[in-house]
Amino acid sequence: MDSDRRGQWLRGVLDICVLALLSKGESYGYQLAQALDAAGVGPIQGGTLYPVLLRLQKTGLVTAQWREGNAGPARKYYRLTDDGHAALRAGGSAWLTFVQPVNDIVTKGVTR
Amino acid sequence: MNADDWLRTLTAELHQRRVAADAARHVVAEAATHLREGGGDPWVVFGPPQQYAGAVVESIGTAPGPRPGPVRLHAAGITKRYGRRTVLRDATLTVRAGQIAAVVGANGCGKSTFLRICAGLMSPDAGEVTVSGRLGYCPQSGGTADFLLADEHFVLVGAGQGVARGPARRAGRAAARQLGWEAGGDVQARHLSGGTRQKLNLTMSTLSAPDVLLLDEPYQGFDQGTYVNFWDQLSRLRDAGTAIVVVTHLLNQLDRVDIVLDLTPAHETGWHAPGIQGGRP
Repeated sequence: MDSDRRGQWLRGVLDICVLALLSKGESYGYQLAQALDAAGVGPIQGGTLYPVLLRLQKTGLVTAQWREGNAGPARKYYRLTDDGHAALRAGGSAWLTFVQPVNDIVTKGVTR
Repeated sequence: MNADDWLRTLTAELHQRRVAADAARHVVAEAATHLREGGGDPWVVFGPPQQYAGAVVESIGTAPGPRPGPVRLHAAGITKRYGRRTVLRDATLTVRAGQIAAVVGANGCGKSTFLRICAGLMSPDAGEVTVSGRLGYCPQSGGTADFLLADEHFVLVGAGQGVARGPARRAGRAAARQLGWEAGGDVQARHLSGGTRQKLNLTMSTLSAPDVLLLDEPYQGFDQGTYVNFWDQLSRLRDAGTAIVVVTHLLNQLDRVDIVLDLTPAHETGWHAPGIQGGRP
């Protein structure tokens, strides 16, 4: 796939993906990147991911806390706030509303 | 450039862009953690440090530039002659609380002399220095006692301010740690390396929480990492409202200072007079 285009799509929706992943529980940057990759979104570089996390933290949608892991090094754990949950609901449904007709249009075109 | 170098460059870039010191520390620590866990070339994972610092600023913004406070140091018309040689002619510098001034110029142009006059260690032939508040001074070398431990230096400085031994030691060690130095060892000052002795010097000059801090090229013998810590420390002190004057011949740090006083004589540069230029962008 055109990686430029993939990058553009990601820019529009990565924050919502991160909020969605965090709705299942707290996590840290590297783990989030792995989860996104495992889900099939593709590799997300730190240079892309952390600015998004920083912005979410600054706008109060997530809180962050440094903590020692069970074995590993101290990590910065992110957790969704109430505002984050609300933003996920609003932004998530807006995304679904947007992507559904896009899928319909593209699907009809591709399968014709 | 390995990961450590990349992280150091990122640190410097973040400070240069005036990202708040705490926020910058977290950003660097998080990048370091990520690189440790995932491996990979930081240039690929995060991109060039300049670019990543730019992305960070876009996300979290910069610390509000503290508004410069009242004038802490005013040196006006300072002239100094050694015999028939005039080393300083009509040098003037005003530094407010929350500003860093760099004193620059070629070797022998009177930078250290100017600083010693500001510190009151030497009298000018003409001109006047007004200092408002407590003064801290860090000489280029010397200033440490050969047979004392670092801790004993801290206790000594503390005693001058009526601080008990325990708290003075703790304050000294904490300040030393800001420079990346664990000062609690049992090594006499004479056995410390030149760079470490300068860290001790520098630490002592900041211990009294001075309102005006005069630093005469205090970083001789510092390695690159300590040098970065040093400028971070200066940024912190500046943001806390200290008025700082630092003598330097290294011009690559000038974008981190608010005021530049160039003491290179006019006939060498074609300038009309040594004067003040620069300022926070």
